Amino acid sequence: MSERERFVEGDDGREVRLGPAEVALLRDLATQVEAVVTGPATELGASPVRDRLFPRAYDDPTEDEAETDWQTASHPDLVRGKSEGLSALLADLDGARGEPGGPVVVALTDERLEGWVGALNDLRLALAVSIGLTDEHQEVSDGDPLAPMFDAYHWLTWFQGACIEALVGDLGL
Amino acid sequence: MTETELLPNELDETLVGPDTPWLVIVWNDPVNLMSYVVMVLQKLFGHSREKATKLMLQIHQEGKAVVSHGNREKAEVDVARLHAHGLWATMQRDSA
Repeated sequence: MSERERFVEGDDGREVRLGPAEVALLRDLATQVEAVVTGPATELGASPVRDRLFPRAYDDPTEDEAETDWQTASHPDLVRGKSEGLSALLADLDGARGEPGGPVVVALTDERLEGWVGALNDLRLALAVSIGLTDEHQEVSDGDPLAPMFDAYHWLTWFQGACIEALVGDLGL
Repeated sequence: MTETELLPNELDETLVGPDTPWLVIVWNDPVNLMSYVVMVLQKLFGHSREKATKLMLQIHQEGKAVVSHGNREKAEVDVARLHAHGLWATMQRDSA
């Protein structure tokens, strides 16, 4: 579909049009990342995705006791926030309309679009860790087994940027 | 209060002074979009778009920027809010 037809602005937000493969990608990733987010807490290093989604607060290793206290106090809320963001994205997709094989149309208020921007960010953070992305301009060759995941990552990057632009306008960055 | 009654954390705060400010630092990372960082800094700290853009560019170009400061409790809250939005933030004592 033409990128101009992605976002159709209305009085109470806008409609976002997604292809079936894009919906499948969002569902698959959101489901996987939510499972990681709500899964058991792990030791540092055991789950690089968890480590990136829930980083340390204290740089200084002599503050380990404060770090533990901070984790205890803040972790449940952080888990709940990310889990709710991903669940809400999945619920918005469940509530979308569209004909089989055609574009899927999701109606999003400003508040929900902002929710999508945050959930998409968590998907990109998780996927970036999974594919070992260390540089924003990193590419892989077409034959690389990770190429489909890089394609997915780059699409999510484009789509998140488009959602932000729909929400706050073009920042010219 | 005598010194023997102090808990380790309180003793620590006494040695360095309870008002020693903490800095909240956001680090550059390859994932967060520049426009997203601006949006989050505006939302969390009430910055104008110009101020948030300036901070974002500092993060992007210098690798990090101090985005807030205050006592330990405030810094801990701010780090958690930044993590909730996926920014890579840490806190450290202001050594200056």
